[in-house]
Amino acid sequence: GSTDRSAMPIANAETAFGNCWMCCHNCAQEVKVNDDTVVGITGVDGNPRGSAGPGTNGTLCPKGLAQLDKTHDPDRIKQPYIREDGELREATWDEAFEYTAERLREFDDEHGAETFLDAGSWAETPIFRTIWRDLYGTPERIGRGVHVCAGPTFVAGGMMGVGSNNRIPDYQNSEYLIMWGRNPLEAFAGQFEAKGILKAIEQNDATLVTIDPQYTETAEKSDEWLPIEPRTDGALALAMGHVIIQEGLLDLEFVQEHTYGFEAYQEAVEDKTPEWAEEITGIDADKIREIARGFAEAAPAAGISIWTGTAQVSNGWKASQNITALNGLVGNIDRPGGLRLWKGTPTADPFEVCEWTPDDKGTDVTIGVDLPNNAEGKEPALNKYEEYEEYPFRHIEGIAHNLVPEMVENGHINGIYCHHDMPLKDGNAEAWLDALDEMDLVIAVDAYWNGVTRNADVVFADATQLEKDTMGTGSWSAYPEHQWVVGGKAAVEPQFNTKPDWEILTGIAEAMGWGEYFPWDDHEEFINDQLQAVDLTLEELDSGEKNYELVGEYGYEQWRDEDGPAFSFDLDQVPTFVQAAEEAGMDTAPEWQPPGTYGDELGEEYPLNFFDIRSVFFSHGSDQGIDRCLDQFARKNELEDEDYRGNYLHLNPADAEPRGIETGDMVTVESETGEGELMAHVTETIKPGFVTAEYGFGEGSAQEDYEGMNTMKLHAKQMDPITGQPDRHIAVDVHNGGA
Amino acid sequence: MGEQWAFYFDANKCIGCHACSVSCKQRHDRDSDQDEWRTVRNVESGEFPDVSSMPISMSCMHCSDAPCEKVCPCNSIEKREEDGIVTVDRDSCIGCHYCAWACPYGAPTYDDGGIMSKCNMCLGEGPGGGHDMPPREEQEDGGSTPACVDNCVGDAIKAGPVSELKAEASKEALERFASEPANVIVEADRDDDEAGAVTYEV
Repeated sequence: GSTDRSAMPIANAETAFGNCWMCCHNCAQEVKVNDDTVVGITGVDGNPRGSAGPGTNGTLCPKGLAQLDKTHDPDRIKQPYIREDGELREATWDEAFEYTAERLREFDDEHGAETFLDAGSWAETPIFRTIWRDLYGTPERIGRGVHVCAGPTFVAGGMMGVGSNNRIPDYQNSEYLIMWGRNPLEAFAGQFEAKGILKAIEQNDATLVTIDPQYTETAEKSDEWLPIEPRTDGALALAMGHVIIQEGLLDLEFVQEHTYGFEAYQEAVEDKTPEWAEEITGIDADKIREIARGFAEAAPAAGISIWTGTAQVSNGWKASQNITALNGLVGNIDRPGGLRLWKGTPTADPFEVCEWTPDDKGTDVTIGVDLPNNAEGKEPALNKYEEYEEYPFRHIEGIAHNLVPEMVENGHINGIYCHHDMPLKDGNAEAWLDALDEMDLVIAVDAYWNGVTRNADVVFADATQLEKDTMGTGSWSAYPEHQWVVGGKAAVEPQFNTKPDWEILTGIAEAMGWGEYFPWDDHEEFINDQLQAVDLTLEELDSGEKNYELVGEYGYEQWRDEDGPAFSFDLDQVPTFVQAAEEAGMDTAPEWQPPGTYGDELGEEYPLNFFDIRSVFFSHGSDQGIDRCLDQFARKNELEDEDYRGNYLHLNPADAEPRGIETGDMVTVESETGEGELMAHVTETIKPGFVTAEYGFGEGSAQEDYEGMNTMKLHAKQMDPITGQPDRHIAVDVHNGGA
Repeated sequence: MGEQWAFYFDANKCIGCHACSVSCKQRHDRDSDQDEWRTVRNVESGEFPDVSSMPISMSCMHCSDAPCEKVCPCNSIEKREEDGIVTVDRDSCIGCHYCAWACPYGAPTYDDGGIMSKCNMCLGEGPGGGHDMPPREEQEDGGSTPACVDNCVGDAIKAGPVSELKAEASKEALERFASEPANVIVEADRDDDEAGAVTYEV
């Protein structure tokens, strides 16, 4: 409400620290607390993920600021629930723990623990893996990174020698930055990305290039915007390589001394002229030459960022491989301003280092916990059963997101532990909804009602980030030469009748008779054991003026310390990939794969290329229910006066006018296998033939009334054959009016 | 007369994230759906592929010759001598909306039974937070940083005594500043960026 705060000003409130978990990328928070209520929130100056580095202002993005609202949001799940006679009913914590333990034992007897799927990615403690893998004994686990975020980026990067570091270049030292299918001024993984780019422009007069069929905030700030034909990024990259080699702009010394497979690459780009690529990509051949020269001449202080845009597509493997190859070609690998081999912060494994006294041993101090490995020798179903032999990615991955519904149908997966994870927004949503229904046991931990929690057998009401002790580390940040740690103690008590995930997981463990494996009094003690490796405690992090510490330093050109080549163009030396590539019918070296080789082809019936996108107001699907984010999102699209608070279909007038569609109309998007309804936003900022909508909305989402379209209801099973990454490019048509 | 305060906005650094609007509402305890004291608009122009979509963050401009102050029949609006911040005394405001008609920027809002409220440069918190507050102090002297400035992800918004802001501004921005009533220094023409040719009359 609009109360005058003079009686309780923010200025007089207590200060506490947090560690933003809205998108799980650890921007540090400073919060003001009055009477167990969060009344103010802002960033921490100089913090690694939320500032531009030392001496700069620390901020929070709008979804990070919305943690203030989320903490006290009356729409949250306020207490545990269990399913009884088909309906969810309120339960006490003890009831919920006991019920869960009973169901888990029954499940193991009936189906086998190895058919239980751990989908616990976004927990604020790592012990979900201990519980499901080591103690319950399931080898089935689905992660967010490789499985639904950017499989080709992560895995191709790993095989080529740069890990997943092809995502975040060394922004601040760069003179030439290519944002390839990325919009990091809006969809950033920590605000340091946006701040680093602005800093490179201001301090280094860096050139910024955006390759994207949609005109984004990043395109607005770019020197060049290349509105590429969707799914043709691989062709553009090969043509750039062609120019760089033909004009002798490559780093010959690096290529000769430190790379593998250059001959195969040279052969692959030999006939890939800019004119050839112009036909495919729609980008002028001279422009391709200009960008290739600019990038190569600025190298090594030139970087490329790729992530989801070039990965969430069926030919994304080759796109990622071809683009990543450009780094090896110009020799920017782990050199200032280029591709940085970011180094994570070492933490200790509390199960190895904890000191404790077992009940039956009097005062004897024991070091470490003797954890069993109950998943040992159990093979994931994907590798075990012949039903999945047609999928090349089984040589590389243990599971694929789009395959889970099939595995449920086959009885190979019969239950799931889902923790803030929203599988319904990540591929074949319709099949996943059926699968959740079909599974014998669904355990959900979340703060909001959504398609998973509503369909669960037991719902644990999770406290949100400011209500628990948290600690975070990462690699990339505004400190290109430092490792770091950021943490905070709970700023307020768990709100309503909720518990922090640490207590939820140890509560399940206790009820299962595994209490002895968790000798810590609380999460803070566990975190302190993690922090032993950097000689810190959570108390030390949390007290004082800031809640982060730089804990280690590292230099560039780290590949000099390793044996073997720093970079591989050709992947013929990776046996698992060789097998997968052969089955998928692709080369081990970079090559061009036209759209439709694996994914959808556009045709008369479905002539538009749909792709789903992100907005700065929402993260992975957990905060689409927060009013402040929804209202600002509507304002950004200048549709705040409408009652509607769902996502928008962005389309060019060239596609809207023939269909009689205007901004504000409700439209139906239809693919071969599904459809959905949402509000149209007609704009010149998107390429004709290409239509987009923000993901995380509609049926099954965290929105209270499921407004908008669940973009993945359009999705069938399109995926990259090498990693199983869902392909989010879908052939659709759009018509005015509701379904 | 004390040193006048002003806002500074660099359109080249605004990334259109709306953190300023959100933090403004949070600082002043305003509901999500209430009218905004600071708002972000996108000025879209051109035709594909020659398009521009420029985000602009706006609030009360704390005008040097504030038209709202002149038309207020109750003398509730004050252009403060001591720091140039335009405040409203909500106890005497009768909600006549004259200030809304006079303001070229749409800054006044009327929630809470029709009484005017607007940006008070975070002199205090809440709708009446500016009236009768002691003169604005800089952060190093114990003054609070305006929420929008403190939370600007792109570092595009600043606030401070005019002389300090002017020292950092470009020649073009200073020329614009001299010719407009708005007490806001606007950077919009970095390099030869055509999209920068935008003024505040939107």
